[in-house]
Amino acid sequence: MLVSAILPAFAADYVGSDVCKTCHPDVWANFYRNPHFKSVASGKESPENTGCESCHGPGKAHVEARGGKATIVAFSQLAPDKVLDACLRCHSKTLSRANIRRSSHTEQDVVCSTCHSIHKSPAPKFLLAKAEQRDLCYGCHTSVRAQFSMPFKHRVNEGTIKCTDCHNPHGAFDPTSKMAERPHMMEQSEGNEQPCLKCHIDKRGPFVYEHGSVRVEGCDTCHSAHGSMNARLLRRPVTFTLCLECHNGVGQQGSFGVKFNNGVQRTPSDHNMADPRYRNCTSCHVRIHGSNTSEFFFR
Amino acid sequence: MKNTLLLLIASICYAQPAVAPTTGEQVGDARGENHGEYNIMNSMELGYRFATTGGDFDMYRSTVNYTDGIRLLSSSLSVQSRDGHGRFFDSLMLNTQGLGNDPYESAVLRIEKNRLYRYDMTWRLNDYYNPALTIANGEHFKNTSRMWQDHDLTLFPTGKVKFFLGYSHNDENGPSLTTIQMFDVRGDTFPLFADIRRQQNEFRLGGEVDVLGFRLNVLRGWEDFREDTPTQILRSTEPGDAGLNTLNAYSSTQPYHGTSPYWRVGLFREGRKFWAVNGRFTYVAGQRDFIDNEASAGSLGSGAPITRQILVSGDARRPALATNLNVSLFPASFLTITNQTTFNNIRMLGNALFSEIDNGVAITPFVPFTLLGIRTVANGTDAEARFGKKVSVHAGYHYSDRRIEVIDGQQNAGLPAPSGAAITPITQFNHLHAGVLGFRLRPFNGFTLLADGEIGRADQPYTPISDRNYTVFRARAEYKKKTYRLAAYAKTDYNTNSISLTSYASRSRNIGADASWTPSGWFAIDASYSKLHLNTLGGLDFFVFNQLNQFNSLYISNIHTASLGARFGIKNRADLYFGYSHSQDVGDGRATADGLPLGAGAATVFDPFLAVQTFPLKFVSPEARLSIRIHKQLRWNVGYQYYGYNEQFSNIQDFHAHTGYSSVLWSF
Repeated sequence: MLVSAILPAFAADYVGSDVCKTCHPDVWANFYRNPHFKSVASGKESPENTGCESCHGPGKAHVEARGGKATIVAFSQLAPDKVLDACLRCHSKTLSRANIRRSSHTEQDVVCSTCHSIHKSPAPKFLLAKAEQRDLCYGCHTSVRAQFSMPFKHRVNEGTIKCTDCHNPHGAFDPTSKMAERPHMMEQSEGNEQPCLKCHIDKRGPFVYEHGSVRVEGCDTCHSAHGSMNARLLRRPVTFTLCLECHNGVGQQGSFGVKFNNGVQRTPSDHNMADPRYRNCTSCHVRIHGSNTSEFFFR
Repeated sequence: MKNTLLLLIASICYAQPAVAPTTGEQVGDARGENHGEYNIMNSMELGYRFATTGGDFDMYRSTVNYTDGIRLLSSSLSVQSRDGHGRFFDSLMLNTQGLGNDPYESAVLRIEKNRLYRYDMTWRLNDYYNPALTIANGEHFKNTSRMWQDHDLTLFPTGKVKFFLGYSHNDENGPSLTTIQMFDVRGDTFPLFADIRRQQNEFRLGGEVDVLGFRLNVLRGWEDFREDTPTQILRSTEPGDAGLNTLNAYSSTQPYHGTSPYWRVGLFREGRKFWAVNGRFTYVAGQRDFIDNEASAGSLGSGAPITRQILVSGDARRPALATNLNVSLFPASFLTITNQTTFNNIRMLGNALFSEIDNGVAITPFVPFTLLGIRTVANGTDAEARFGKKVSVHAGYHYSDRRIEVIDGQQNAGLPAPSGAAITPITQFNHLHAGVLGFRLRPFNGFTLLADGEIGRADQPYTPISDRNYTVFRARAEYKKKTYRLAAYAKTDYNTNSISLTSYASRSRNIGADASWTPSGWFAIDASYSKLHLNTLGGLDFFVFNQLNQFNSLYISNIHTASLGARFGIKNRADLYFGYSHSQDVGDGRATADGLPLGAGAATVFDPFLAVQTFPLKFVSPEARLSIRIHKQLRWNVGYQYYGYNEQFSNIQDFHAHTGYSSVLWSF
């Protein structure tokens, strides 16, 4: 329908894919490997939903003009929003793409053809424009590439983890942590929890005593998920400065039993910071993500 | 065709680091062989890896971890029905990586028959080694292996009615070290050996159906988790902590089992001329049951003997409800307006019966009653207007209202259930107002300029480092022609969080540029540079010998990264690739950890804080790879990659490593 809007057509304007392959044999030769070949194999789709013309629109004028981009829907000539319209004709029928129109990618004119190559893809499963998903993402997200160059990182460059394990490039529902506002495009788990918990199963809980910052503000309160100088992917080289930045007595002046009230409790007075063992916070507070037995995450 | 093949090989060579296998690389005709109704393409790359290291081997294992041995570096199998009417399947794709003994192994399989079914499987294995490093006193070592597998079967994937079946498994096993703190709050910590055994299984069942033009997607899942990690005492005293406790005997069992059944319902409709809508509802009823049975014997700092048994049992629950409703309107062809509404309500609560017996004397058992409840309501509206191909503008306003409730109390067992003020939660509200404004320009063909800014104002942030008054600015310029591409970006993210006693400010500034040039089929080059600057300043309160001290936590990181890659094709016979990656945090400019402005005189209590205000390091990795076609179905590959890691303030963790491989890629 949207293609029709781009190039109004009648049934007689469709010539069929067999005609297209006369001039485009290189595209057709391996088209049976392409997921879009399903529309041809089906044999039950209407002309506007079959083969080449399902995306490129009716080909009669193109054939009569003996080619030319002005007589056909050429994606290289389309405005980004028209590319999106054309692909969503079929590809909107998936919940994971339900937010594509409001995604940051769409706002930045990053549309389907930016990342997917329909006819020359080296990655047949998702027809990505590059062989490895990470290189596709690094193409724009240079700063993320830099973060994954840090000594400690999730193993994206090694191929164990993919960007889409944590992110939804097609747009995501609002996150359930922070203020439901940022970060954008995080791929929540099926149960709508932070994506970190899909793999880090032991951190999920629930626990009798939860570390509030983990649940309220999210894992990235303490961790730099892409890469860090710290072996635990902490945002600081050592633990105690990270902890003390929050546990500095703001608000409640160190009273126990109150987890917040415009502040987080201060470390107690017997935590002598001149003693190195008190600077290794997680040596005692081993269950820092949550505990079932200790309010102070000791066991 | 030849050019296409060259481009394909070029893209693959560019995409992969030298130590990685050459999945998908095509040899000779490489269009597969026809067998009956199917076309089959297959390739296998078998090789030998080597690695020699110097310096801190633990650090090498923690960051790189490749070791010697024979590997099936990669394999690829593609079986495609030529007419889309295969008997059992129309498409089968299997790709593997690192099988044999690589620390990073994976296999991805997809089998589908058009209109009937689609099956996806992903299997991954990651050997994780974390020595906990010197800066953490060597505690909390881990040498575990994590395995994931996901299976998803979709029936009638293109039909109006679909069914989903899924299963995921995730386990983590292996030895580790942890610690336990005994016997009182001033007691020592003791190392424990822990044999980690964690396992999660998830089962999914769902369907999707067209209802009045809407797609209704329903998924029911059951996620089951269990952990049975035994621990064992390693040492009765801690070196360097003479005069504190000793721990002569210790045993603990902490089985932790539970399930989180969930519902997810999605309703969406796209493709209408003037509107699109989608909504999602999820509800998770998480519950975990636990027992902690801990017995210990030792002595206090005074030398007095002590025996202790702690028994805790109970459950913890987390019902979580999340709903979203998004409406998009297209009142004109150039205008899109989207409104999204979110409601989340998560409650975490638990019951436990805590019993403790010290030297044969039981303290009164108690029951904690705790709650952490988070309820968030958010609404945002975004509008995008496009004025031809050259200009678009977008703007948005977002509002969030969050309520956090906490109950944190306990009551001796046997007494009536608490009521009144004891179970009245402490409540805090946060509100966020944020606005976004941006534009996109395409003044001439090939050039794109994007910029946007976001300003957010929140009250009552939850932690001192949370977003409060933040300003984000992003800009990106790109110029793209057929053979080259130039791009540059800048991003700043400033946040200030001034609250009652102290303040916190963070400033993040990123700039970068990248370029690629492919003048011909036999040569390609790309380069990128990025600078990530971060400085944060926060107030600290801490005690030294029971005296309160106040200080600032200033952290400065200046990370420069650069990468360069160049590929040469030699007469369609060989491919040569050179790459270089350089990451360096230059810190705050000081030469040594002791060269501190404030620490120049006598040692102060602030020195430990000053020493970690910055952490300069360098991590470099040059690489090279050669791939030679020795037969139309055979390639010989050899690769080399060097890793060099240096910390500026200490060389204890520095390492260097020479790694590489030699392999044969056979395509048939």
